[in-house]
Amino acid sequence: MSVNMENFQRFAEAVKQLGSEAPACKLTDEECLAAVKETFARRLTPAMAVQLESCVHCGQCAEACHYYVETGDPKYTPIRKLDLLKRFYRREMSPLRWLHRLYTRDITLDDLSQWQELVFDSCTECARCSMVCPMGINIAEMVLVNRQALAAAHLIPPELRTMAQEQADNASLFGVGSEQFTQMVKQLEAQGLEVHLDREQADILLLTSVVDILLFNDVLAASVKLLNLLEKSWTFSSEGFEAANFGFLSGVESVQKAATERVIRAARACGAKVVIVPECGHAYPSLRWEAANLEGEPLPFEVLAISEFLGRELKVGNLKLKKIGRQKKVSFHDPCKVSRHSGADRDPRELLRALDVDFREPESGGIMNWCCGGGAGVFLINRAADLRQAAFRRKMKQFDATGADSVVLSCGSCRLNFMVGAQRANWDKGIESLVELVAANVVEKSPPADRGSAIQTNGDPS
Amino acid sequence: MTLLEFARGPAMSWALIILVAGLTWRLAGLLLLLRRRDLSRPRNTHTWWGGFRTIFTRFWPHREFLRPTAFHLAMGYVLHIGLFVVVFLFVPHILYFKGLLGISWPGLPNKVVLLAGALTLGALVAFLVRRLTHPVMRTISGWDDYFSWLVVTLPVVTGLMAFSHLGARYETLLAWHLLSVELMLIWLPFGKLAHAVLFIPSRAQLGAWFQRRGVRA
Amino acid sequence: MKKETTLAELLRQQGVSRRGFLKFCSITASLMALPPSMVPAIARALEQARRPSVIWLSFQECTGCTESMTRSHAPTVENLILTAVSLDYHHTLQAASGSHAEEARKVAMKENWGKYLLVVDGSIPLGNPGFSTIAGIPNLEMLQEVAEGAAAVIAVGTCAAYGGLPHAAPNPTGAVPVSDIVKDKPLVNVPGCPPIPVVITGVLAHFLTFGRLPELDGLGRPLAFYGNSIHDRCYRRPFYERGQFAESFDDEGARKGWCLYRLGCKGPITYNACATTKWNDGTSFPIESGHGCLGCSQPDFWDGGGFYEPLSRLPGGGTAGLAAAAGAGVAIGLGASWLARQRQLKARGQAEEDSR
Repeated sequence: MSVNMENFQRFAEAVKQLGSEAPACKLTDEECLAAVKETFARRLTPAMAVQLESCVHCGQCAEACHYYVETGDPKYTPIRKLDLLKRFYRREMSPLRWLHRLYTRDITLDDLSQWQELVFDSCTECARCSMVCPMGINIAEMVLVNRQALAAAHLIPPELRTMAQEQADNASLFGVGSEQFTQMVKQLEAQGLEVHLDREQADILLLTSVVDILLFNDVLAASVKLLNLLEKSWTFSSEGFEAANFGFLSGVESVQKAATERVIRAARACGAKVVIVPECGHAYPSLRWEAANLEGEPLPFEVLAISEFLGRELKVGNLKLKKIGRQKKVSFHDPCKVSRHSGADRDPRELLRALDVDFREPESGGIMNWCCGGGAGVFLINRAADLRQAAFRRKMKQFDATGADSVVLSCGSCRLNFMVGAQRANWDKGIESLVELVAANVVEKSPPADRGSAIQTNGDPS
Repeated sequence: MTLLEFARGPAMSWALIILVAGLTWRLAGLLLLLRRRDLSRPRNTHTWWGGFRTIFTRFWPHREFLRPTAFHLAMGYVLHIGLFVVVFLFVPHILYFKGLLGISWPGLPNKVVLLAGALTLGALVAFLVRRLTHPVMRTISGWDDYFSWLVVTLPVVTGLMAFSHLGARYETLLAWHLLSVELMLIWLPFGKLAHAVLFIPSRAQLGAWFQRRGVRA
Repeated sequence: MKKETTLAELLRQQGVSRRGFLKFCSITASLMALPPSMVPAIARALEQARRPSVIWLSFQECTGCTESMTRSHAPTVENLILTAVSLDYHHTLQAASGSHAEEARKVAMKENWGKYLLVVDGSIPLGNPGFSTIAGIPNLEMLQEVAEGAAAVIAVGTCAAYGGLPHAAPNPTGAVPVSDIVKDKPLVNVPGCPPIPVVITGVLAHFLTFGRLPELDGLGRPLAFYGNSIHDRCYRRPFYERGQFAESFDDEGARKGWCLYRLGCKGPITYNACATTKWNDGTSFPIESGHGCLGCSQPDFWDGGGFYEPLSRLPGGGTAGLAAAAGAGVAIGLGASWLARQRQLKARGQAEEDSR
């Protein structure tokens, strides 16, 4: 498994520089508060309202949160992260607002800056708290609304602001735009892969992400290899290749919509029936659940996570896998956004089972999985580094208990967070990509030519 | 008019009127909020089923959460079952409901009800101590939490006092008990006690959300 | 002449033996919750007491209280003390009538001014002085006149004590209890419909023994007799505790003598000595006879809901009121959410404008 560690360190450095380029806020204090409230009012749904009404302040959500569990700091109690929305709701939207106003403080500018840390740095919208809440409150969904409200007031962490701004201005992330992607494609072709770019007609539009382009090139190559092997009619689009959506992560709705639209345009252009989202957690719900609503109409294509796509091909018998054998002990880390948020937790397990590895289901696996600690953009927030690391302890404990040699992941940012966390903690578990593992062990129909040399290994930890 | 007559007559009538009006107000007050039609392609279309199911599945935590929520689980069940027994299975209460609703059901011997009342009170005290000492609960608690605790505890205490004729004359205790129940009924729609009703739509919303996304939560 | 005779002498003249007298004293002591050691003191006090003078006024009443006193199957000491020895005026019982009767009252008042006991049964109508008169004198006037010279007043029966049946809604005569009229004299209420006879003489005995009235509860009743509820002293209480209730007057539970709570027994909120002293020379009391307590010694017991309605069944309300409340709640709620919706629409419009 080859991750260029030089690239990795360079990427880590780039992340550290992110905040310094953040554009400054031009809003007055009053405008900030007004923007927050307007966003709350606009985004509130009856479902959220009834859930905000029903909280009994039992605090059990804290027990589900990796940040609280690992730090013991009560400020990370998930429901408390909704305080801004809750207080606004109680004072201005609730049926009983005239009563609640008597004893509910209005939100202030101080609150806004204090809650920035709570809804950005210390919440990955992993939704584990939604699984424990006895009242069924969907906290994660409402944290997103809080992010959107703070974004409307230009109060998002500088790193995310920079990323969102870049995606808005140049349609690029970390400097990877259309041009850089095209070069990447050429690089892949130089490796001997057959890559389809900007085909006029294709059944499948394959997306990728900046992380795969900059760091995990092998995942990209593995995806291409698999689609070719399965003899699919597919294409990349040089205009709509990026699955990551920093508008969604940072709560800047205009950027989210623009990024989504680029993908939808690309899919429409080639008449794709399926759009495959790469190993990138948040990209999946962004396109699977959010896009149609931003667009205002149902999408003309189906959205599949690549693990989901592979699982489906396996089921119908198109995808045939070699048995690796039980000597390989692996466990699997579910990306929150794909498993818990989107119900696609079965396919990765089917694939691993087909590979006949010694699969060790972790405690709290599947839809109950603990977040890696770096999701929803938290990985990029530099000041949250120690908090992330604290949360990562939970992951190490979880996987140490499985006795597996390596952890298979299906999300680039989880993987990044694992790599950084493992490096800081000198954790020796292997960290590998599901797609790479599958691609390396696929039964090839025609005798393999000399192509694909880059993806031959069985995925030993790098 | 004696205190007991006041408690039995006008106070109870008004408490019930406020209870009903408050609850309908609070629920109807959510109906006209803007809805969003979800245009994404659902994994499951029978979202109502997920909603319905979740109303019941959330009565018991996923095994992941059994240990960390053991206190709330145990005390919560003692409190709620205790309240249920005391409120609905004590014969004089059943007679009250019969007068109000016209239907009746068998009750439990007073000794059992007394035990349930004592356990309920114990659970209430445990919850208060926990709320005052546990960092998370202390952080997220507001006056509604403490006031609601008080208006639930008072009927239990006065009920136990009236039951055992302790502290004052029976009709005075009965009047206190009725008045404290009325205070609870009046506050119920406006504070967190409304979770007695709200848990249903709230859980159903989450259940439907997960069902639509194919998550077996 | 009467002035010089003591109570003991008078009782002997009436044929009461020493033994019978002492028995009465000990019963009185136990009823008034006094220790047995007090019996000789009571006996001594009563023996030496001068003949008390009692004036009995009957206003809006049914004579049930007097009947209760006099219909005992055998003449008792307490009856003798009251009716034969002390009564100077009682227009139902005295031999004299017409102007002679009123004359007797005047004489008794004059001779014992400031020392006689006034017993009242029946309520006093304030609506119209003509509603109830004796010898042409309105009740209110006669009460005020006689009370002025009384040492103490005993309101006998629920009518005199709390207004009773005449006071029940809608109270057509404007009936009030004695306590509403007489404010400046020691007053004891001996409620009940009718009250237990021994309670009246008990109060009298206490007055004669100690020279003052017994300790009273918040409703002006002697604590010694009204200190416990019927429920507290009821022999059927264990059935209540076990949740065994008669459902109708002729079911298995009724035959087994189970608790009558469900059949409307008001024992838990009624304070009286019925369950301990019982009636008809200690024979029984209503619950023992299979009927729930009506609560007759409590104020406004006529207006406290049906006699056969369980105590826990509360009056008032009704589904109409609740339906109206639900309607009002929905209306306010819809209004509140409509306003919130306008706010949302405005915010959406604003956002669209901003994005343009």
